[in-house]
Amino acid sequence: MIQDIHDVLKVLTLSLLIFPAGVAAVLIFVAWFDRARSEATVNALVATGYTATVAAATALLALMASQGVERVVVPLGAWVAVGHYHFDWTLIADHLSVPFALFSSMLVALIGAFSRRYLHLERGYLRFYLLMALFGAGVELVVLAGSLDLVFFAWEIVGLTSALLIAFFNERRRPVEHGFLAFVTYRLCDIGLLGAAVWLHHTVGTSAVTAAPTATTPWASFAVPAGAAATAAGLMLLWAAMGKSAQVPLGGWLPRAMEGPTPSSAIFYGAISIHLGPYLLLRAGSILDHAPMAAAAVTMVGAVTALHATFVGRVQSDIKSALAYASMTQVGLIFVEIGLGCRYFALAHIVGHAAIRSLQILRSPSLLHDHHHLEQAMGAQLPKTGGHLERLVPDRLQPWLYRHALERGYLEGIIKDYALGGFLRLFRRLDALDRAWSRAVAQSGPQAARWSRAGRDAREAS
Amino acid sequence: MEAAIRLDEASFDDGDRDAFRLEEILAEVAPLLPEQAPLHAFVHHNPLHAFEHLPFEEATVTAARLFGTEPFQTEEAFARCLENGRLRIRDLETTVEDCETDLDSTLAGGVSRRDFLVARLRHLFPVPSDAALAWMIEETDAVNRFHPLVSQRRREDLLDQARRRFGQIPADAMERRLCRLLWDALRDAAPRKQTHPAGIRPRDQIHEATGIDCDELVHPLLIRLCASFLDQGIAYWQLPGREAGFLAAFRSLYGLPGAPLDRWRRGLDAECRRQQALAWDAEQTVQWALESLGVAPAERRRVVRETLLSLPGWAGMMRQFELHPEQAPVVALPARLADYLAVQLVLDVFAARHARRTAAESPRRESTETAVHGRTPVDLALVYEAFAAAQLVPTDTTTLLDAEGAGAWLATVHAFDAFERRRLLHLAYERRHRVDVLDGLLANEKLLSRCPTPEFQAVFCIDDREESLRRHLEEIHPACETFGFAGFFGVAMVYQGIDDVRGRPLCPVAVKARHLIVERPVEPHLATSYYSARRWRGRLRNAVAVGSKSLVRGGLLTAAAGLASVVPLIGRCLFPRSAERLSHRMRHGRHHGPTTRLAIERAAADGPIDGLYHGYTTAEMADIVAALLRTTGLAEHCSPLVLVFGHGSSSLNNPHEAAHDCGATGGGRGGPNARAFAAMANHAAVRKLLGERGIAIPDRVWFVGAYHNTCDDALTYYDEDLVPAAARTLLGDAQRVLAAACLRDAHERCRRFGTSPLQLDLDEALAHAEAHAVDLAQPRPEYGHATNAVCIVGRRERTRGLFLDRRAFLVSYDPTTDADGSTLANLLLAVGPVGAGINLEYYFSFVDPTGYGCGTKLPHNIVGLFGVMDGHASDLRTGLPWQMVEIHEPVRLLLIVDAEPAVLLRILDAHPGLDRLVRNGWIQLVSWGSAASGSAMRVFAGGGFRDHRPECTDIPVFQQSREFYAGHREHLGCAHLTAAFGAAA
Repeated sequence: MIQDIHDVLKVLTLSLLIFPAGVAAVLIFVAWFDRARSEATVNALVATGYTATVAAATALLALMASQGVERVVVPLGAWVAVGHYHFDWTLIADHLSVPFALFSSMLVALIGAFSRRYLHLERGYLRFYLLMALFGAGVELVVLAGSLDLVFFAWEIVGLTSALLIAFFNERRRPVEHGFLAFVTYRLCDIGLLGAAVWLHHTVGTSAVTAAPTATTPWASFAVPAGAAATAAGLMLLWAAMGKSAQVPLGGWLPRAMEGPTPSSAIFYGAISIHLGPYLLLRAGSILDHAPMAAAAVTMVGAVTALHATFVGRVQSDIKSALAYASMTQVGLIFVEIGLGCRYFALAHIVGHAAIRSLQILRSPSLLHDHHHLEQAMGAQLPKTGGHLERLVPDRLQPWLYRHALERGYLEGIIKDYALGGFLRLFRRLDALDRAWSRAVAQSGPQAARWSRAGRDAREAS
Repeated sequence: MEAAIRLDEASFDDGDRDAFRLEEILAEVAPLLPEQAPLHAFVHHNPLHAFEHLPFEEATVTAARLFGTEPFQTEEAFARCLENGRLRIRDLETTVEDCETDLDSTLAGGVSRRDFLVARLRHLFPVPSDAALAWMIEETDAVNRFHPLVSQRRREDLLDQARRRFGQIPADAMERRLCRLLWDALRDAAPRKQTHPAGIRPRDQIHEATGIDCDELVHPLLIRLCASFLDQGIAYWQLPGREAGFLAAFRSLYGLPGAPLDRWRRGLDAECRRQQALAWDAEQTVQWALESLGVAPAERRRVVRETLLSLPGWAGMMRQFELHPEQAPVVALPARLADYLAVQLVLDVFAARHARRTAAESPRRESTETAVHGRTPVDLALVYEAFAAAQLVPTDTTTLLDAEGAGAWLATVHAFDAFERRRLLHLAYERRHRVDVLDGLLANEKLLSRCPTPEFQAVFCIDDREESLRRHLEEIHPACETFGFAGFFGVAMVYQGIDDVRGRPLCPVAVKARHLIVERPVEPHLATSYYSARRWRGRLRNAVAVGSKSLVRGGLLTAAAGLASVVPLIGRCLFPRSAERLSHRMRHGRHHGPTTRLAIERAAADGPIDGLYHGYTTAEMADIVAALLRTTGLAEHCSPLVLVFGHGSSSLNNPHEAAHDCGATGGGRGGPNARAFAAMANHAAVRKLLGERGIAIPDRVWFVGAYHNTCDDALTYYDEDLVPAAARTLLGDAQRVLAAACLRDAHERCRRFGTSPLQLDLDEALAHAEAHAVDLAQPRPEYGHATNAVCIVGRRERTRGLFLDRRAFLVSYDPTTDADGSTLANLLLAVGPVGAGINLEYYFSFVDPTGYGCGTKLPHNIVGLFGVMDGHASDLRTGLPWQMVEIHEPVRLLLIVDAEPAVLLRILDAHPGLDRLVRNGWIQLVSWGSAASGSAMRVFAGGGFRDHRPECTDIPVFQQSREFYAGHREHLGCAHLTAAFGAAA
């Protein structure tokens, strides 16, 4: 009997991945072969797929709770098996991943229903749903992944769909640039995730979720390397989470990501994508528990981000940037909570914040309407905000602080000048040298040309 | 046309070359900026208002060259129209005949100019650009084969020509040979490709020379600064010192030392402090910046113009705040366009310096094409166009095979360029519409029959959206008469409703309201508890909205109560109507607001307070009432019940909500105007005064004001409790009839929504309309004025029973009581510019959705509570969103007036403003006389009226509108509906 229940649970867990992936696969097929692509068909497919996902997640949660099952591990087979070394793919359903899987599939399903009306008659209708279905599948996989390698795979899907949806209106230049910026940031931080996976394989032989729950990390987590190696793993995971969750100093892409259709902004940057960083850190609780330095770094990054974003957000005069910084503020706080070990509180904070923020972003185009009605309800002009800032901050410092916020903490200039600028200038110099060299070669006659040809041939031969 | 543009450019630089007067330059340049007010006060206007002194076609092309926009629909769109019959060959022929000269002359290839023009317009084919063209030439058979559009007959013809030249060879080889020869001859004779010179701004030249775009550096900062300066309440913390003006605030902020600014802005703080110390004003700053940028004095004007046009939306909004501070949504600010220009140019100076420095570090980028070939390449696009045209136009191609013939043909084809073709196509496109409408009106007039005596009358706004409601009302209840009058009903007031925080003008923009009308509760003590409860709920909502974005409050709120948002999230996504109903209940509680009245009366002796009279005197009220009654012809025969309907529109997910409101109230909602009018007309003293002036309103007549929400088709009636007992039953009957008419109106509207099924049940229509109004996910709450095309000024009895597809403004006017045309003159002065403004805004937003319109709504981002950007930090987007105009048909307003040509010419002579609109063709004027000789249409063209010759005297006849439009989504022509005259089914 128990064996049967476990089979059912495994099937349900697997279906959490298979339904969204199936939807994405069919949409890819439709797009690739340019089949009949009526809005109704696309929609029916997404609606069915995600309703099934939500149903499966609900059933899984209910069954696990009623049967008192702590954890379901679904082996997907081995990638590599050499001697005693196994490189296995597994899914894991426990009381961290299942609520998260349920919540995110529900949000994707809701936004899918919402977008049916929102994107009606839009040229990129199919592309939008395809990317969103792919994103949904990616998120389920990040959430359920039983090892860091699998997380990496899904992490890439999420990043790619995010960048492509920022660049959804690709006939304009700005969305494409901003999508690219997000993509570059993601790639930069993927180094952390990849590094962590390799590091775990190197130090403890596996990146799979094998460590049993403890008092501080009440769900299964990664096996922890000893001593400083744990700190290194923790820091690399932090680096990975910082990009996806737009933490200081890598958060410049977030306000710029508000280029896509409003519903995609809501689900990515109000609800799910932005919270995947904290999710990863929650899953890696065991490592943070054994690496107080890394945990302190998580707290620090979160605290700095929360302070930075709350100041910068206060001077944003367009609604989507204001909401982007509001998101960043709360995600910063969630990092702090995770760093300090308040894991359940962080989980509640993620869910609550995702719900409220995505609704706010969806509502943002109605701001004028809402403002008018709010004024009417209050019977007066809305009360002035920012009063206590003006009271607390000395008069002479106020313009300075304001400019600091308006310039977004000067972070972009600093990164551009000091982090990227050096590379750029170096490459520019090299480029100039290269040109000078080729000019010199071209001008010095057939002899030199022969050399250079010989050189090229030699290069090609090697 | 070319000459006119050059003239314009030349006159631009003609100014005094030494003295620098910024004010003068700005006065000349600023009208080119968009004139769109903050969104809450959106009023339709002609986006090319600065070009109204030019004829329409010339203006669109001039503006297209200046702004880089589209003047007309694309050739592709016109080709589709030719395919589906919207545009016929006959239209092309007649248009060419009417609008072009020298038609019998012979062009290259031995074809007459007439045949050339018509044939070229008939055969529209795409000409690919650069890479696509090169691919086509090299990789396909395009230049070895006849064009696919060549007909079988023309093919034979071409082969005959070839046979004469080459003798008898197989057809296939002949085709190849002729094509190859023709192609080679044209390519050899082709002119060089014209290179576009870099713009006149220093930024353009730097961009050309170094590849660095200074605007990429300057614009993001400038946009952020403008948004912060003008912000009306989105930011939690406002720009310090903005009361001192934009330039001063900028200087004091960026004059602060000690911050790691972007590399390109190094030295900006010192410069700001220097200018601050010198107390330079905007003019001095601009002069300094222009000199630093190395702009020659003669070029200053154009540089200023181009600089402002690089971010037209923001520059335009600065100017709007400067010109109309009272229109600011919340706080008026000391905005000045000159300040804005000064800041932009100062930043330009630093960006230019930086670009030059950077360019010095790395070698100059080489220009691609010229560098490779040493000279500009041949204009292949023209060669291809001439090549295809030679086959499609009935030429003798063999005469084009030598250098001379080929050169002449290239010149001929080049002279009839895409703008010229699109201009003629547009005229033909308009012609088809005009002929159909005029024929429909004449045919309908022949079928008119007598109507029963009206039991009640209803006055609506002239709005095209009320056309269908009026039609359905007449169909359901033939014993009723409807009128159209500008939706402020003559009551030009500043109105403050009981809920409103501040008053707002409810009158046409051209009118300055001088009276304030306030709505007051009848029993103030009963209202108090209602309002205090509402205020508490408001405070709570505000606290959540503000708190959720902050750090500590936000943390507590989202962690503790955020999950509760799942409920509204599910509701808004899946059940929009129920969610809105629930949310409304939460916001307003269970109770309705208190009973109120308008404080409408003022003693003659009371003077103005703060420039506004509080209420109207009896005499003023009598004037207002008399004007409406006389103009509409109501004065002659009032029914016992007269309903007056103002209108407006309420919707979610719609920053452009105000654009759907009533244009006659300046983008406000006209309910209060209707209510005020009814109160005036019911006023005993006013009636006494009217009686003395010869307008006798019988005592049994009662006026009721009402409000029509055009988005969800709901009606609200005002002051029903004051209706005398005798009129109550009648009012109840009328309300039932009107509710049924609204249902049908909603049903007719739903045929346009792709999301509503075509076989929609009548009963479900209202639910669909309501869902559009309250859905957060709905980018198309209603289609507003989209498809508007016609304005008919005349007696309703001449158009009754005519299906006009919600495309016509209907203005009631009775020429029989207006011998001298003075009433008509006043009407046209109001209707002409307002109608043209609406119509042209739709025209331009449709033909260039991103150049004149604000593009798709989906990424829009509200900034500062006054405008929208595309996503993050873009220019402020003006014009209409695509979702609002997508079903529009871009034709100029066809203004049909129930008056003789002589009367109209007299009016035009007397009113230069109107004359300019008509003579320059911004509206098409038609006289619909009804002299003894019979009804006749005469179209204004070239300074006089020309007879309209009907092409079709038949009109489809149906019993009710629904039978006609059932199963159709597309535009429909005219139809005669018998139900409006009491014909039973």
